[in-house]
Amino acid sequence: MITVTINGKEVRLEKPITIFEAAEMHGIKIPHFCYHPLLEKWGGCRMCLVEVEKMPKLQTSCTLYVTDGMVVKTESEEISKARKAMLEFLLINHPLDCPFCDKAGECDLQNSTTLYGASAGRFEEGKRRHPENINDPLIVRNMERCISCTRCVRMCDGVQGASAISMVNRSNKTFVEPFSGGRYNCEYCGNCLTVCPVGAIMSRLHRHAYRPWQMEEEVKTVCAYCGVGCSFVLQVRENNIVRIMPKPEVGINKGILCAKGYFGYGYIQSSKRLTSPLIKRGWKLEPTTWDEALTIVANRLTEIKKKFGGESIGGIASARCTNEDNYVFQKFVRACLGSNNIDSIVRTGFAVAQRYIEDVIGQGATANIISGIPHSEGIIVIGGDPTHINPVLGVQVREAFRRGAKVFAIGYNPGLERHRTHNISYYPFTESTLLSYLVSKLATIKELSGENKSFESKINNFKGATLKDVEKVCRINGSDLNRIIKELSSISSVSLIIGPDIVQRTDVRTNLFLLTAIAYMLNARIYLLAEKPNEQGVIDMGCLPDTLPGGRPLDIESFRKRDEELWGYEIPPKPGLTVFEMIEGANSGSLKALYIMGGNPLYNLPDNAFVKSSIQNLEFLVVQDIFLSETAEIADVVLPSLGWVEKEGTYTNLERRIQRLRKSLDRQGMEDWRILSEIGKKMGFKIQYDSSLDIMKEISTVSPLHSGLTYDDLDKGLDVWPYKGTPLRHKLGAGDWPLTKSWSPSGKEKLYLTIEKHMFLSGTMSRYSTALNSIYQEPCAKINNDVAERSGVKDGEMVTIKTEKAQIILPIKIDRNIPDFTVLLTNNFIEKGAMGLIPYKIDPITKTPAIDGCEIKILKREYE
Amino acid sequence: MFSKSAIKEIEEIRAKYPDSRSALLPALYIAQREYGWLTPEAMESVASALNIPSAIVKGVSTFYAMFKHKQMGRHLIQLCTNISCMILGAETLVDFLKNKYGLEEGGITPNGRFSLVIMECIGGCDVAPVMLVDNDFYGNLTEEKIENILGRYQ
Repeated sequence: MITVTINGKEVRLEKPITIFEAAEMHGIKIPHFCYHPLLEKWGGCRMCLVEVEKMPKLQTSCTLYVTDGMVVKTESEEISKARKAMLEFLLINHPLDCPFCDKAGECDLQNSTTLYGASAGRFEEGKRRHPENINDPLIVRNMERCISCTRCVRMCDGVQGASAISMVNRSNKTFVEPFSGGRYNCEYCGNCLTVCPVGAIMSRLHRHAYRPWQMEEEVKTVCAYCGVGCSFVLQVRENNIVRIMPKPEVGINKGILCAKGYFGYGYIQSSKRLTSPLIKRGWKLEPTTWDEALTIVANRLTEIKKKFGGESIGGIASARCTNEDNYVFQKFVRACLGSNNIDSIVRTGFAVAQRYIEDVIGQGATANIISGIPHSEGIIVIGGDPTHINPVLGVQVREAFRRGAKVFAIGYNPGLERHRTHNISYYPFTESTLLSYLVSKLATIKELSGENKSFESKINNFKGATLKDVEKVCRINGSDLNRIIKELSSISSVSLIIGPDIVQRTDVRTNLFLLTAIAYMLNARIYLLAEKPNEQGVIDMGCLPDTLPGGRPLDIESFRKRDEELWGYEIPPKPGLTVFEMIEGANSGSLKALYIMGGNPLYNLPDNAFVKSSIQNLEFLVVQDIFLSETAEIADVVLPSLGWVEKEGTYTNLERRIQRLRKSLDRQGMEDWRILSEIGKKMGFKIQYDSSLDIMKEISTVSPLHSGLTYDDLDKGLDVWPYKGTPLRHKLGAGDWPLTKSWSPSGKEKLYLTIEKHMFLSGTMSRYSTALNSIYQEPCAKINNDVAERSGVKDGEMVTIKTEKAQIILPIKIDRNIPDFTVLLTNNFIEKGAMGLIPYKIDPITKTPAIDGCEIKILKREYE
Repeated sequence: MFSKSAIKEIEEIRAKYPDSRSALLPALYIAQREYGWLTPEAMESVASALNIPSAIVKGVSTFYAMFKHKQMGRHLIQLCTNISCMILGAETLVDFLKNKYGLEEGGITPNGRFSLVIMECIGGCDVAPVMLVDNDFYGNLTEEKIENILGRYQ
């Protein structure tokens, strides 16, 4: 126990912390500029000077650790004098333009100056000028206001790991600059804006648009872009989002955000939002009243149900909608439509992997806390770059690397370029060969725990590729690989980060078996990357053809009967169709109607020509969305719903934490669940609720996993799996499903299409964000120098990209870091989607699409 | 991009340190030699050769006076004007360079042959006034002597 006296107050501390932190803990405020809770301590601004008894000079409280018996004074005449002198220095070159600086009112420099009074300086030499830099679309730098506290640089270098800015030049010409001096070439995480104590680095999105004291409302909510679920505070004025304020003390992200979270909120106020329901008259969608639209939907669905039975109707749920929406959706499909045909795009990523892993390792195997990643000694990254798919999780991987963890990055991980111990890159799509060697090699080194005997015998009987195969197929140096595996096997605390790519493969079953085996042998914590905010919620709410809410299997009668009793409606006993079976059903004519909530399958599923013609084959298509997506364009009825800040609800993130969304904007319209219950009402069913709170009440009685859970519990922090509920109990499975023979490239070298998952983009939503579009302006085909040379194309040249299915015209972008034989395309721009180029190939057991091995040709365009 | 031999040189330096950032200063010298001054391209070449973020390279290189961030002449004249040299007439030598070669402080001759940096004491007070041309040291300077010396640098 350490006892310290601060300003005459005795403070007892368990462990040594800095004077600054000790004072802060006890409500004593010390002015400061360079200190920030997220950053490394620096002691450069000299504002936090305090008097410590028996120490000859004033001390910087942010770097001095307390010792027993220390007597500290944080305010005295001498301290005030020193602080005033420091401020006088800082203001020598400061323009004192508070009247038109956006920071005024919440500026540390302004506040301190008012407190210690140094506004009238004694320097007569004149101020240096440095014009405000507005060359960047999102960030304005005003270096005249900069006080060189280096918070932004320490954030960029030491936390975010992007190292895109640095202090340039020296003495009074020191400025913060990106390499170009103007436009940034960075991750646009916005974290430098968060930490700037003055008005030197500001966002352009709300430039001169507000005063901090004019905010009408502050709402703490959760980001709706990816599966991490970062929290921030939305500041609202006149029913507009003015800005996003990350706070270090709020949420799992601790004040760190990414480009989408920080700058991407604009889509919600896009003028392209749907405002009224649309119905198809002739060939055109025309606006109509809610009543008419809902009546048509109810009547048509009742009619089709009567004529063809419930199994002829399907529903596609959405990982962008809340748990409440998804719960009501599956209830609507099961009870009102009498069908188990309910699935979502989560099938292409999260769902299958999680089910397999939980079956073998146990329920909750993927419910690992993100903040645990930096405490691992080893991290395996495979199947996608965490810094792009889930940027804030990616920052944790970088943090782990800085703390000395070994990072084994398998595949293309551009964001970990400087934060990995081993980079294992291989010939495109041959990871199953690599993993199979890894597993059989690890099995010879590692002792198995005996926890799941049947799975262990499967591992022991598994015959993986030989080192020779790996060298030939994957083109990896064998002795290097052996060395890496040896290193990996000696690490005791491993995190395994699995991206969605691993599921979208011909070898999906083999891949999942191998990864589960690796996790089992290394006793690794598993993180499944989630591109959408509520992938886990969709699964937990029962939006799967064979699962009821709470992850209960539909084919066990007792579970089904229990839900039937609680609902008062029957649930069909037969498991329904997956999303791809629905598309095939539509094609063959067995599926007559489809209800899509917040999804855009026409764009997000492979081979969009096939998907489109299948969907057009339907008798009736309803799309519920906030934008007129490609799928909505061909719908019979389009129902506008509310976006993420316009409704209450909850999201379940990739660590299975349930977090609350809070309504901050008013908008005319109905939440997804309200639309569904209105249709239900018109069809003669009682699925009415007053609010999302009401639905949560029902979820907590129907889903055993969420039993007794309330919003208050979530606010109190009871938000981590398994909440207050009971997870499904089952015998650990053997992971038995037929493995495929590893895919290996045939014939001569070809180019293969790979989908880029970029940190600035997220499909349909990011398209409507002008801010995100300004930093990733146009779709392009990214290739490396070797591919460019072989194809004879130059940077920026327009080429035709052709697969067996379709072709698009795109400019070439050369990036030396892209793996060989790869053409990287995004799936985020209108009419330039890469998924549409990929042949439709579905795994017969997991029902996931295989997007690998898609050969691509780069054709030069001939001009006259 | 760097020539093959320069890349080899940088790699050799890189191998001496556990951390590639340690090799940054020597690599910047090589870049300056190769490009004449640290053009954005030169800094980016260093960044990619050492796998260091280019912003860091810029931050470090702009801190040190020996790294030049604007076009320099083929030969660099560094003339001292501190007390000893000044007393012994360094300032008339500055005027001489200006009148004879069109060379101003921090400037470059129109033909790109020389550039001039007025520098602080280089420890040659006993033979003041002194200057460095590239890496060669010259003392007891007079106008004729300078003309003579500079004639050897084309």
